[in-house]
Amino acid sequence: MEQRFLSPAVLASISGLELIAKTVVDGFVAGLHRSPDFGFSQEFAEYQMYNPGDDLRHVDWNVYARSERLYLKRFRGETNSMLTILLDASNSMQFGSHQVNKMDYARYLAASLFYLAIHGQRDAAGLITFDDEIRNYIRPSTRQGQLHRLLAGLEQAEARARTDFSKPMRYFQEFLKRRGMVLIVSDFWESPDSVVRTIEPLRYHGNEVVLFHVLDPEDVKPKLNGPQILVDLETQSQLEVTPDYSKKEYREKIEAHLADLRDRVQAAGMGYYLLMTDRPLDAALREYLSLRGGRK
Amino acid sequence: MGFFSPWFFAALAGVALPLYLHLLKRQTRTPKQVSSLMFFESRTQSSTRHRRLHYLLLLSLRLLLLLLLIFAFANPFINRNSATLASGRLVLLVIDNSFSMRAGNRLEDAKAAAIRVLGSKGAARAQVAAFGSQLRYVTQPIEDQAALRAAVQSIEPSDGHGNFGELARAIRALAETVHTPIELHLFSDMQRSELAGNFTDMALPNNVKLTAHAVTTKPEPNWTVESVDAPGQVWGKDAKPVRVQAVIAGYNTPAAQRTASLVVNGKTTATKAVQIPANGKATVDFPALEVPYGFSRCEIKIDDADGFPADDLRRFAVQRSDPQKALLIHNYGDNRSPLYIGAALSAAAQSAFVLESINVNEAADRQPSNYAFIILSDVNSVPSLLENSLTGYIRSGGSLFIAAGTSAGARTQIPIFGSRIIETRDYSRIPDRFMSVGSADSSYPAVAKAEGWPGVKFFYALNVDPGDARVIARLADQTPLLLEKRIGEGRVVLLTSGLDNLTNDFPLHPAFVPFIEQTARYLAGSDRQGGAQAVDAYLELRNAREQGQAVEVTDPEGKRPLTLGEAASAQSFQLTEAGYYQLRLANGRQNMIGVNADPKESNLDVIPDDVLALWQGNGGQSSQEAAAPGSTAPRKTPESFWWYVMLLVLASAMAESVLASRYLGTQREET
Repeated sequence: MEQRFLSPAVLASISGLELIAKTVVDGFVAGLHRSPDFGFSQEFAEYQMYNPGDDLRHVDWNVYARSERLYLKRFRGETNSMLTILLDASNSMQFGSHQVNKMDYARYLAASLFYLAIHGQRDAAGLITFDDEIRNYIRPSTRQGQLHRLLAGLEQAEARARTDFSKPMRYFQEFLKRRGMVLIVSDFWESPDSVVRTIEPLRYHGNEVVLFHVLDPEDVKPKLNGPQILVDLETQSQLEVTPDYSKKEYREKIEAHLADLRDRVQAAGMGYYLLMTDRPLDAALREYLSLRGGRK
Repeated sequence: MGFFSPWFFAALAGVALPLYLHLLKRQTRTPKQVSSLMFFESRTQSSTRHRRLHYLLLLSLRLLLLLLLIFAFANPFINRNSATLASGRLVLLVIDNSFSMRAGNRLEDAKAAAIRVLGSKGAARAQVAAFGSQLRYVTQPIEDQAALRAAVQSIEPSDGHGNFGELARAIRALAETVHTPIELHLFSDMQRSELAGNFTDMALPNNVKLTAHAVTTKPEPNWTVESVDAPGQVWGKDAKPVRVQAVIAGYNTPAAQRTASLVVNGKTTATKAVQIPANGKATVDFPALEVPYGFSRCEIKIDDADGFPADDLRRFAVQRSDPQKALLIHNYGDNRSPLYIGAALSAAAQSAFVLESINVNEAADRQPSNYAFIILSDVNSVPSLLENSLTGYIRSGGSLFIAAGTSAGARTQIPIFGSRIIETRDYSRIPDRFMSVGSADSSYPAVAKAEGWPGVKFFYALNVDPGDARVIARLADQTPLLLEKRIGEGRVVLLTSGLDNLTNDFPLHPAFVPFIEQTARYLAGSDRQGGAQAVDAYLELRNAREQGQAVEVTDPEGKRPLTLGEAASAQSFQLTEAGYYQLRLANGRQNMIGVNADPKESNLDVIPDDVLALWQGNGGQSSQEAAAPGSTAPRKTPESFWWYVMLLVLASAMAESVLASRYLGTQREET
């Protein structure tokens, strides 16, 4: 049966990030076959010896009664214990050629992933919003109400200033001491070399790093009605450009940039996923999760 | 080459507009925001150069478009030699088939002359038309001689009255569409009575050359029944004898005795000899017209003694039917109203109505729908039962005449009519002791026939508030005197004075009889049109309230000339043939009308030669020109070619649209 996805315009008409996230996640989870990595599951995976400090809630008391040894019962779906999303809140994220701009789309994406992690897998989840410095940090946690804190953090994230990965990166290192999964959501208007060089250190702690590259359709195929003056949203610098240039040379350059970024990121052992803001979010997430599951 | 309207070149100033738009107006650019200029490069110089190149081409097209448009409006023409145009001329053969062409062999002679002209013109492009009351084209412009001859032969005489002014108007309309010279050949008896009232109405355009072919040159003697005066309707079995009067006229005739006959339904019922003076008229009277119930086809006929027998009779139709009943409700003790109204109805309306008079106390058991109309005279207190019954009668289409009288002054409102009584006006107390009619609507039949009631004295009237009623007559002090109001489907007429000789002297005045007669006919809806009409007259088939109800017209040949669609919607019908037309009107009433040709067609006087020469536009020079065509300088004919310029305008406008949409339209995304 053909799956119907929710267009970004429909999501924009829904008020409240939690509802958006629930709509997106419930929608595609319902249509998704059971995933080995995501999706809440009670399927038993392994026993692990109890170490002091482990959560007593996970102790299998039946085994203890029989053997008088403490074992922790582990389930599938608990393999990633911590999710941190780094959200780019620079000015360029404000750009949008239709109802949903990149910032909104990134918010929906982050909210959906948080919902999936917390409701689906009971994982700890955290958020860092940044532009040229850290704007907000919500520590990963599984505490009650964590989802609401994260969603509030997303709501408060306003696009301003310009992107600079290098400056806030040293702080990322401090925040990401525990091993987990790090998702970076940005439009990555930097040279691929610079992006990879700046982000690569995050992997050194054993984190799984995935770059969500969010772009507007007009970022790739700008539409110009005759020669026009273009203004950079981050630097406010201006430039007169002709349609001929935007239709030929620009496209060649941006396509080369995207390919280069993808290759370099993947070569560095990180994940890369391009998201266009005119694409239904649930379809994109479904595709991403399927690809990720298959890779593992 | 020249221009008929050179002042349009003033619009050349408008050429500055595209120049301004293209060359002087600065480009306004709205900056567009993008995420990043990381991969953009400046391309200013090349883009500007590119745009100007395209714009110059577009500018040229737009300038051309404007110039051509101005050129077309200036209406350019070129002078072309008439001789070079002669090959494209149109030979228009117009054959008069008006009623007078039935005299002798006039129409046959005209057709023969037309065929002779056709033969002499060889393979010229020709068109045949018949001219009765209107110009009717029988063929398109064609070169097929056989088809043209057949068209000439197919023309039949009509009963219409020709008018050369109408012919000239039709030719002027044709000349606007046919730009080649038109050679107009008119085959007619050239009746003087067909001349237009104003000679300028017969003026022909420059590219039309008229050649008149008269089938007769001298007036012929002719007697005719010029008119008949007879009633259209006769009422009842014991109606008074009906008189028929006819006028017999002679044109170019010596004094003679003629025999006139009255024919009813094909049987001659009376014959009279009448002495007609030379070139004069005489009246003949038939004192008693006896017709059976229903419609009768009647005619006055004179014996056949001239070459034009078709006009020796005049038709009219008469209907005999039972008189209609009318009810007069009056106050107890009021004997004057029944007397005056009854006398007036019997005197004037040829016993069309039988008046039944009752007092108000007896009215309760009467059925109003049995009466054609009801008169309520001077009723002080109408019982509510009667008021309700009369109101229902009116709403369903009945008619009521209310004479307020003196006693209504005690009320605050006129019963049924509903108008508020403001005050009573007793003029017997003022110095002149009476009031006369100040203004009256002469379009109202009852007032028109009574000629506005001159000299009638009113001593008493009610001043009522007209409200939504139509005021037909007012007294000199603006007091409404006669009012009409529609209630439901019916109508109520109110006289604010009385119908006796106490409140006015109207019943004693001669105007009273026609007033009562016309009011009775109007209220009963029996104001039948006369039983005779002229050919080309229009007959009203329905009024505005009778939309959607079918009518039926049967012409003298027994055919139904109206299509189903026309029968359901046509407001009027033109009587095109002489004879008897039978009609069933939208209101369901049957009618029969005798239709006769226009009496002017009987006068066979011909147009004098000098007038004819003047109409042909050459005052006698045409024959000289025809004799020596090379002796005069060739005539130049200006020929307009604005239409071709407009085609160029259209072509350049389309090219401009294509180019503009290509260069200036929204850049479409390439997939």
